[in-house]
Amino acid sequence: MAKDGGQTSEALARLSGVKKRYGATVALDGLDLEVRPGELLSVLGPNGAGKTTAIALMLGLQVPDAGEVSLFGRSPHDLAARRNVGVMMQEVALPDALTVRDLIGQTCAYYPAPLTLAETIALAGVEKIATRPYSKLSGGQKRQAQFALAICGRPRLLFLDEPTTGLDINARETMWACVRNLVGAGTAVVLTTHYIEEAEALADRVVVMAKGHEVAQGTVRDMRALVSRKRIDCATSLTLAKVQAWTEVSAATLGDNGQLAITTADAEAVVRKLLAADPDLKDLEVRRAGLSEAFAELTQEPAQ
Amino acid sequence: MTAAPIDLGPKMTFGRLIGAYLSDAKYESIRLFRTPAFATPILAMPIIFYTIFGIALNGGPNRPPGFADMMFVGWTVYGVMGPGLFGFGILVAVERNMGLLTYKRAIPMPAGSYLAAKLMMAYVFAIVVMVMLVTAGLTIGHVTLPPLKLLTVAAVMSLGVIPACAIGLFIGAWAPASSASAIANIVYLGMAFLSGLFFPLNGFLHDIRVIWPTYHLKQLALASAGAPSEGTVLCHVGVLAAISGVLILLAARKLARRG
Repeated sequence: MAKDGGQTSEALARLSGVKKRYGATVALDGLDLEVRPGELLSVLGPNGAGKTTAIALMLGLQVPDAGEVSLFGRSPHDLAARRNVGVMMQEVALPDALTVRDLIGQTCAYYPAPLTLAETIALAGVEKIATRPYSKLSGGQKRQAQFALAICGRPRLLFLDEPTTGLDINARETMWACVRNLVGAGTAVVLTTHYIEEAEALADRVVVMAKGHEVAQGTVRDMRALVSRKRIDCATSLTLAKVQAWTEVSAATLGDNGQLAITTADAEAVVRKLLAADPDLKDLEVRRAGLSEAFAELTQEPAQ
Repeated sequence: MTAAPIDLGPKMTFGRLIGAYLSDAKYESIRLFRTPAFATPILAMPIIFYTIFGIALNGGPNRPPGFADMMFVGWTVYGVMGPGLFGFGILVAVERNMGLLTYKRAIPMPAGSYLAAKLMMAYVFAIVVMVMLVTAGLTIGHVTLPPLKLLTVAAVMSLGVIPACAIGLFIGAWAPASSASAIANIVYLGMAFLSGLFFPLNGFLHDIRVIWPTYHLKQLALASAGAPSEGTVLCHVGVLAAISGVLILLAARKLARRG
């Protein structure tokens, strides 16, 4: 987990010891974050963790109270630096009366060497909605249009803030495939997401944030290993309360079908106890916790 | 630790930069022509009001000499103020609210292009309004001014786009999105009537008429038409420039503080 080592001069975007508060709310509390060329960095964390603030700082939309921000080694307010950046924000309403083609054309004009209109439309997979006014698009189609705007300038660094919210499965797959292609061609991507499977599907590196801190970073596999919890599912006559009382059990819940789901660091001990307490236990399944469970656990215990 | 600057790849040429400004102006105009709620009142109201109140309801052959010219001048001032006032007043407030301004700041839109595009859009709309008013004036308006003078008035009036944009920008920067439209309407109509664009004022209203930008515009229009006017050209231009400058500064302060 080398952070401030030899890679400093290479980072495309960097936050160093950044603090930011809004009134009494601390959004970022001494965050260090860097985006390296060609990587897909996924920033995970619950609402209020500071993900969107971190991106806003890297784009120069906010000024930090303390610490340093750089984008391509320059101030993020430098237009020349931002011309290497594509952005898909969480909350933006684009002009209703313009078509997707118009919006792409307008955005392309801001970049020195953008894709052509046709290339952008094909790459983002927005052929079907290209001539429609933005106001006539569904929520998911609006996200696709915004994605097209984010990639049209051939950015070397792409910020995607919750890009697949509201997308159907096909559209999401199309977007993921496009992101993979861009990363394959050398574009660095910062992806914030609530969907753990999105990070699992795409990310080279994951940073988990909670309460304005980084609580963990590494590969998806590192994240899972860091929290070596296992998940046990079974059908049993034991009560939830009884299982929850066992010291090895970190969490237990009852599913809709009466199945018990247990999270634990010591799966063997729990299984032994389960089988001893309920000889009729059925449908026993033990597996390594997904990023979802790892993530929930990390963000519950921020200070490490 | 400050990192060494990273190679930024292709540079933005001057031509592409100008292209970005022009493209923003083009799309701003296109989208507003396609938005009937905006385009209809801005384009249609001046010509409708001029035809009804300035031409049809004004006494036919019995009208006093110079009256038709006065009406023409009054309605051009009214018409030229609309696009700037509403284009900035309503749109800036709404776009500030919906996150468009923040987004435009995040992507590499050239500084000033957002406002420059709106200014150019206001000119495009004002020219369309002016063409309609001049055509009506020449054909059915009984205007006695020679056509060349009419065009001079229209050209001088295009100056009015700037103070109109400044007032609009001030409203757009400070007013909540939900009330910007109402405020812009009140200011628009208030300025038109309280400055005596269409009929003479008496008493207190007459004494304070000089505070309205529309009053100064009207005097400039009268002067350019060779009709009797109050004050000097320099004074009117100075007042309009001062009002515009102050409002733009106040708006810029607000917009710089938060999107």
